[in-house]
Amino acid sequence: MDIIQCKDVSKSFGEKVALDHVSVNIPKGMIFGLLGPNGAGKTTLIRIINRITIPSGGTILFDGHPITQSDVERIGYLPEERGLYRKMKVGDQAMYLAQLKGMSAKDAGDALRSWFVKFGIQSWWNKKVEELSKGMAQKVQFITTVVHRPSLLILDEPFSGFDPVNAQLIRDEILKLKEEGSTIVLSTHNMESVEELCDNIALINKSRLVITGGVDEIRHKYGNNNVELVYTSSASLQPAGSLFRILSDTCDSDRHTAVLSLERGTDTNEVLRHIISQPLVVNSYKELVPRMNDIFIKLVTEEE
Amino acid sequence: MNLHIINVIIGREYMTRVKKKSFLITTFLGPIFFAAMCILPSLIMFMSTDKGKEVAVIDQSGIVMPYMTSNEETTYTDCSGIPVDSMKVRCKEAGMDALVVISPLDSVGKTVSVDAYSGKPMSVDMKDAIRSRVNEAVENYRLESYRIDGLRQIIDDVKADVPVSTFTLDDSGEEKITSSEVYMIISLVLSIIIYMFIAMFSAMVMQSVIEEKSSRVVEVLVSSVKATELMFGKIIGVACVALTQFLLWVVLTAVLVLGVGSFVGFDSIAGSANVQTEQMAQMTEGLGVDPSALDATGMNMQVEMPQEGSSEMAAVLETVKDINYPLILISFVVYFVLGYLLYASLFAAIGSAVENEADTQQLQLPVTIPLLIAFFIAFYAFKSPDSQVVFWGSVIPFTSPIVMLARIPFGVPAWELALSIVLLVVTFVLIAYLSAKIYKIGILMFGKKTSFKDLYKWLKQK
Repeated sequence: MDIIQCKDVSKSFGEKVALDHVSVNIPKGMIFGLLGPNGAGKTTLIRIINRITIPSGGTILFDGHPITQSDVERIGYLPEERGLYRKMKVGDQAMYLAQLKGMSAKDAGDALRSWFVKFGIQSWWNKKVEELSKGMAQKVQFITTVVHRPSLLILDEPFSGFDPVNAQLIRDEILKLKEEGSTIVLSTHNMESVEELCDNIALINKSRLVITGGVDEIRHKYGNNNVELVYTSSASLQPAGSLFRILSDTCDSDRHTAVLSLERGTDTNEVLRHIISQPLVVNSYKELVPRMNDIFIKLVTEEE
Repeated sequence: MNLHIINVIIGREYMTRVKKKSFLITTFLGPIFFAAMCILPSLIMFMSTDKGKEVAVIDQSGIVMPYMTSNEETTYTDCSGIPVDSMKVRCKEAGMDALVVISPLDSVGKTVSVDAYSGKPMSVDMKDAIRSRVNEAVENYRLESYRIDGLRQIIDDVKADVPVSTFTLDDSGEEKITSSEVYMIISLVLSIIIYMFIAMFSAMVMQSVIEEKSSRVVEVLVSSVKATELMFGKIIGVACVALTQFLLWVVLTAVLVLGVGSFVGFDSIAGSANVQTEQMAQMTEGLGVDPSALDATGMNMQVEMPQEGSSEMAAVLETVKDINYPLILISFVVYFVLGYLLYASLFAAIGSAVENEADTQQLQLPVTIPLLIAFFIAFYAFKSPDSQVVFWGSVIPFTSPIVMLARIPFGVPAWELALSIVLLVVTFVLIAYLSAKIYKIGILMFGKKTSFKDLYKWLKQK
């Protein structure tokens, strides 16, 4: 079941096309990575899902029905450009934003207090935002994004501006929210966190959808069938005609690390049989899956 | 529209402003300022009289000195025997503030010329006093030179000073003595206050929109509420602040005036009001209402006041009692609310299109100009409330809130009120619709400076 189904969504501002017939499904209970270079149209898509912007064409289904304004209460959004009222007290501000998401004053107060305790920032409640550091303000903003327990959480570059300790704190909270059943859309340029956190992704470039699907599936699809072999031998591994080519072989005393390029559709067993027939001891044999980073660069530059 | 959410927005806009120190200060200082306005004129008059100026007079004509009568302010000393040059030198050490030298009589033109010397530049009041005394001397000298018996008596008989009392007639033909000056003052004060209120609170809406945009909090806000809800929540919230302030001003001023009134007695307040009326009348005349009335300023006024004061004061008191306060208050609230809504929508749209206040200058111009024009027409309205320009000014929506209010104290036909209110409401709805369109797009536009062309494009966008 998908929490969001974008069907053929387009948006243009005057002559400029920001989204060109994009169809993306975001499955429930997963972490979904929204990737793309700057200016590709990610923010426009996020704003359309948030109902900040009305699409020029196409439909958005939320939980199976065409999205309405009241569904917005079930969405939490952390925009890339963070901002709070500078002159307002942290507590008042959090209460205000929570109530705008439809919470009653009492529920908002209870929920916020427990979040403040969890993050160890109770003492900030009566401080003005302008007294906080950037990182502190980010924490407050994260809380205001999740306090109404949204079914769908849209986070645009959530880790930027956090130190490693706090970034880990946020990462843990994101995983916890996923366990509790929230769906999370993560828009980021940080490919490591995509590999670490995301179950599915969509890549948008130049207003168009380039690819969408499961992270593992995509990584395997774009792998070039390379294998890393570590073995111990006094002699080097010999290539085996059509079965594989040796791309590199580095040697540290008797311990070798070699990268093999397999023909697509080659039977792994046959490769292994050929290897062990040689005078060497195999220490490890591992499929080399491309990094998301490489896939991103490959797909985006191919389009150029 | 989600009413609960709009209430939350209005609540925040209202509370953050009402809790501000600046709001509390203006709310409580305002009535004190108004009350001071009632007392200050008499205080200034009292303070501004120069004390004990010593003036040496060298009268070479021999006809002027008898007219140089000393009073509390100035003492004239006859130094006619002393040569001018040595007097100039000794003037200061003799303790004289000024030296007045009257030339020998010109027997042909039957006139004199006067040179006045002083250490510090001579005040206008003193110069006027000297001139009027010398004029009197010369006039009398000329009269006598005709050698006609009883001419003096004849001239005095001919001099006219006709008092004009103004009355208003109600439908039943019953007359009431009124003071036009009181209406003028009320009209002037009302138009200044409503102009201030509309300009100040609309600008507040604009600043608040810019603040949300430049701090980027706006993107979070519009992910929870519709942009139009945010805009109107803000406009309504600020309107409530304005009305709170106005209400508190009315109540506190009333308490202050009644409190002081029961303490010192109403007569003294009325007396002070009377002085104020006179001054206002002078001021308005000075503004060029009636050039011929300019002669009435200066000495003559001071001489006439004691006799006229009592009947004038009766008129002032009668008029003050007779003013339709509820009508004025209701009109103020109605025209402020409608005028504010119109201008605040426009200012909100402008605020949404810029990233900081420095960029507002250019976009603001087409909005501030009608507001200023309205203010100028209102200034004209209190002089001639029924002229064409004032009539049109009070009907055309962009100027009507201010101009109509300036007309209210003089009485306005019901159909004109109805017409101006209906036009104002219709214009507001239209402007609000267009402003909301600009606002929705503007608040999420960053980086590029907005021009009128961009605004037009946004209006066309679906």
